[in-house]
Amino acid sequence: MNRRLHVGLGSCLWLWLVVGGVDIAQADEKLLIEAALDRQIVEPVLAAFAVENPQIDLDYRDRSTLEVDQRARDHDSPPDVVISSAMPWQLALSNEGIAQPLEAPEVDQWPAWAKWRNEVFGFTFEPVVMAYRLELASHMPPPETHRDLLDLLTHYRQWLDGRVVSYSPRDSGVGYTLLQQDARYTPRMWDLIAAMGAADVQLETTTQRMLEGLSDGRYWLGYNLLGSYALLWAQTHPDIIVQVPNDYSLVLMRMAFIHRDAPHPAAAKRFVRFLLSRRGQHILAGQTPLFSVRDDVIGPYTAQRLRDQVGDHLYPIPINATLLAFVDPLRRQAFLRRWDREIQILSE
Amino acid sequence: MISPRTSLKRRLTLWLIVIIAGLGTLLLIEAYTSARKAADRAMDGQLEAASLTIAESLQWPEGKPTLEMPASALQILATRWQERVFYWLQADNGVSITQNADLPITAAMQEQARHQPVYLDAVYDGRPIRLSGREVDSAGWDTQEPVQLWVGHTRRGRDLLAQELFRKSATRFAAMVLITAALVAIAMRTMLAPLRRLRQALRSRRADDISPLTLGVPREMQELVETLNRLFADQRDQRDALLRFIADASHQLRTPLAGLQSTSELALTSRDPDSWYQALNTVHDSAERTSRLAGQMLSLTRLQHLGPGHEREPLALDQLLREVAVDWADRQDSREHDLGLAIDLPTPIWVEGERWALHELLNNLIDNACRYTPPGSEITLRLGNDEDDDPNGAAKRVTLAIEDDGPGVDTESLARLTQPFERGRRQDTRGSGLGLAIADSIGLRHGSRLTVTNREPRGLKVSLTLPRCRPPEGSVT
Repeated sequence: MNRRLHVGLGSCLWLWLVVGGVDIAQADEKLLIEAALDRQIVEPVLAAFAVENPQIDLDYRDRSTLEVDQRARDHDSPPDVVISSAMPWQLALSNEGIAQPLEAPEVDQWPAWAKWRNEVFGFTFEPVVMAYRLELASHMPPPETHRDLLDLLTHYRQWLDGRVVSYSPRDSGVGYTLLQQDARYTPRMWDLIAAMGAADVQLETTTQRMLEGLSDGRYWLGYNLLGSYALLWAQTHPDIIVQVPNDYSLVLMRMAFIHRDAPHPAAAKRFVRFLLSRRGQHILAGQTPLFSVRDDVIGPYTAQRLRDQVGDHLYPIPINATLLAFVDPLRRQAFLRRWDREIQILSE
Repeated sequence: MISPRTSLKRRLTLWLIVIIAGLGTLLLIEAYTSARKAADRAMDGQLEAASLTIAESLQWPEGKPTLEMPASALQILATRWQERVFYWLQADNGVSITQNADLPITAAMQEQARHQPVYLDAVYDGRPIRLSGREVDSAGWDTQEPVQLWVGHTRRGRDLLAQELFRKSATRFAAMVLITAALVAIAMRTMLAPLRRLRQALRSRRADDISPLTLGVPREMQELVETLNRLFADQRDQRDALLRFIADASHQLRTPLAGLQSTSELALTSRDPDSWYQALNTVHDSAERTSRLAGQMLSLTRLQHLGPGHEREPLALDQLLREVAVDWADRQDSREHDLGLAIDLPTPIWVEGERWALHELLNNLIDNACRYTPPGSEITLRLGNDEDDDPNGAAKRVTLAIEDDGPGVDTESLARLTQPFERGRRQDTRGSGLGLAIADSIGLRHGSRLTVTNREPRGLKVSLTLPRCRPPEGSVT
């Protein structure tokens, strides 16, 4: 009780400082964030950061993963903070020495499995899910596992033909990463891909577009959607059902790092520390569907709560050097070649 | 740094510090390099494992090399220290297969890797990295191009590992130093214990205690104890000599005094003024002799207790000799003798000495010769070259001798002749027996002992040698 009171007082003080100091100390520091993360979703976190740091002029640029990667490699005008869900590319940037390490108590407390070299931090915990239209359930048993999905594609192909949607591994870094990871876990993944190919799978580059297609009725079934977006969408679209696979569910983590040549390193550090802090994660867990990684944070969206609901078959994509293999051009080429082969193997 | 007054403990400590510091520096350098080597050895294993895993995944479809990068290889390469990882694969014809970094691999390095796997240090992106290269070749249905396969990573883990190993070595070394210091402190106390015992033994002695020390000490200190004991023995001898001198002196003084007493007693019983006159004459002679004896005793003790001669000056010895001889020629005592002077050297002869002492020496020698030789004897004062001197070199010393043709002295008495109250068994003279002792003391003050020898066929020779010196500035040569 006491503690909450203190927090309240602190907020008042902050507010007073903000209001009082607006004229004098407005925006003398800039902060440029290049992110593959919808601004709309992350807005509560940005707003809280802006309230706490009124002197920082936050320039948040929402782009695709590919663009973010290009921006990070731009030597002439590097961003301060880079956020992306394309985990292998983020790790590759760190491996190339483009990220700078951060030393802070928040970093020391951060779980070891969600950081690399104290440079790149996975700060969200987003399950990868399937989503389907409610009417699908009236024609067939709705899928709960990957095997169910394969069965549906085999037995109900006439219903699903052209109505299945997934990520394009060629045009989306996230989609490529998810498929690579799927293929690492089970070789039967290729059967699923072949089945999807036979059902004339439609390929999109963002979860948002898949969700729109589902709501439109263009698609009935979506595979490998980002749970964070899907869950938010399902709240306002009751005809869309989100299913976290019951056999295993990949978990994607947004990764953030401070650029080595960040023009405003102090502000960048402040921002990343805020992202990792209890307060930042609390906002993430309470006001965004991004799921907090910290287990000392309570809210509707936390990794712990997700585990409680779904069980222990959540498989976060490991943040380690194995991801670097995914961005190896030869390996990517070989994977896409096989994808191309498998996707049409049954349709001939 | 170490002055002679520095304490033994401090000396030992200083030496130990120097030795330990020197040795320690060497040991620590060795520990550092071996720690780095050990870390490299351990971590090169990871490089090898990753390299082999990648090599295993190499395929040659249609004879052209290609690779599906095994994810595990990169994780092995990253190690638990999360290194930055690098790989670089090139076909033999120089065409890159795949790489994630533009590694600085030279033709020489490739040539090296062609024969066997190599491990090298390099710098990439401004950071030190460790590289491993090998050439992969495989049998197949088609001719297959060999592939140069290089993997590398940053050195964070190696540095941490080396640091840890080095810290352990350094800790061990520090512990060793502390233990050594404790042991040395104990050893030092034990070693210095005999010294402390000796000090206590010396301190608790009474001032007049001259008995030898009986103390169990280590062999190294035995010599010191022996020297001390010798010193004590010398002290005892000297004290004995002193006591003997006092006894002799009292005895010598008592004889004429007893004579005086008896003569005066005898005269007192007489009424005859003639016998009074005679007795008075005897008393006068006796008193004169006694007074002379006392004077000589005084001068002997003074000589023996005088410090080293400070009044030395260059003086012409031949000149002095001449003066003394002329002086003696006029005296009653030498009238009956034939006093001669023989100077066999070119004059003047310069020696460094105390004029009054040499004067006294000559007086005593001449007086002695006159007293112990019958009238008419020939007495010669001689100056000659020292017999021990190199005859060809410049004469460094000069021998002063006095020779007579008197009866001489029997051989047993020769050595004792320079001791006080020794008269060579002659009771017939009125000499005090101190003349030669005084002369010897003076000789000693000038660095030379008196030599007494019998001459052939008869007579005595008393000689001493004196160092010559350069003539003083402004003197006429």
